[in-house]
Amino acid sequence: MKILVTDDSRVMRQIVIRTLRQAGYDDHEIIQAEDGWEALQMVGAEKPDLVLSDWNMPEMTGIECLEALRAAGSQVPFGFVTSEGSPEMREKAANAGALFLIAKPFTEENFRDALDGVLS
Amino acid sequence: MSAPVQEAITTMVDAATVQSIADDVWTSLVGDGEVLVPLPVPATEVTVSAWVQITGPWCGAVVVTCEEATAVALTECLLRARPPAVIEPEDVDDALGELANVLGGNVKSLLREPSSLGLPQTGPIPPAFRPDDLCRVDAQWRGQSLTIIVQGAIGTPHTERNEVPQ
Repeated sequence: MKILVTDDSRVMRQIVIRTLRQAGYDDHEIIQAEDGWEALQMVGAEKPDLVLSDWNMPEMTGIECLEALRAAGSQVPFGFVTSEGSPEMREKAANAGALFLIAKPFTEENFRDALDGVLS
Repeated sequence: MSAPVQEAITTMVDAATVQSIADDVWTSLVGDGEVLVPLPVPATEVTVSAWVQITGPWCGAVVVTCEEATAVALTECLLRARPPAVIEPEDVDDALGELANVLGGNVKSLLREPSSLGLPQTGPIPPAFRPDDLCRVDAQWRGQSLTIIVQGAIGTPHTERNEVPQ
């Protein structure tokens, strides 16, 4: 399966990818995008099986990307990995069609809890 | 008529809470066994800062400051880089900014009112507004100075495009 990791921080993309490996998802292809706009283009071109996205990014935020995907008819599984995990953020993410929100700082267990049902 | 004074951050966040957030960040991002010790030591070299702004009923910033060499070492840890890996200056800005971002996102979640979080920035520290509108953790990592400050801002609250609505 193919996972699209979207974050404007290269360092955080590396941390997310490393945590995916540590959580046991080491046999999946990982592709990367630097913001929501690039992710939007890559979903169309690369057909990932899952999008993991930061929320707060330049050009296009994660929630704007998700809303654009759903408006265009894409039902690609989408989850947030973001520094804020308040109930309001989680509700907003769920209402837009996100499957989960993993708050930073995170653990391998957080990833397994969120992704096992999606990637199994 | 004078502008209303915002509620001091110390009524919502204390140093022990910021230290607790930092403990989780260090374990998760910096590495197992890496500890931010809440004992101040003086910085002896040039320092660098990264911060994120919070905008809402309380306006301010969460600022991380350390020596340049400490910022490079933190970057190596976040990237799990081993020699002969080369750490680029933009990676150091990125890594310190992400630490500020994660700390800031968690501090924002403790505020009583909905707020917005800006994108990470690096450079000179934004000036503090009032001495009492400030929460500070003076600590050390691997024996080197590292300071986390949650400080009130000067200026009128406003919303920028890339901030996150809560």
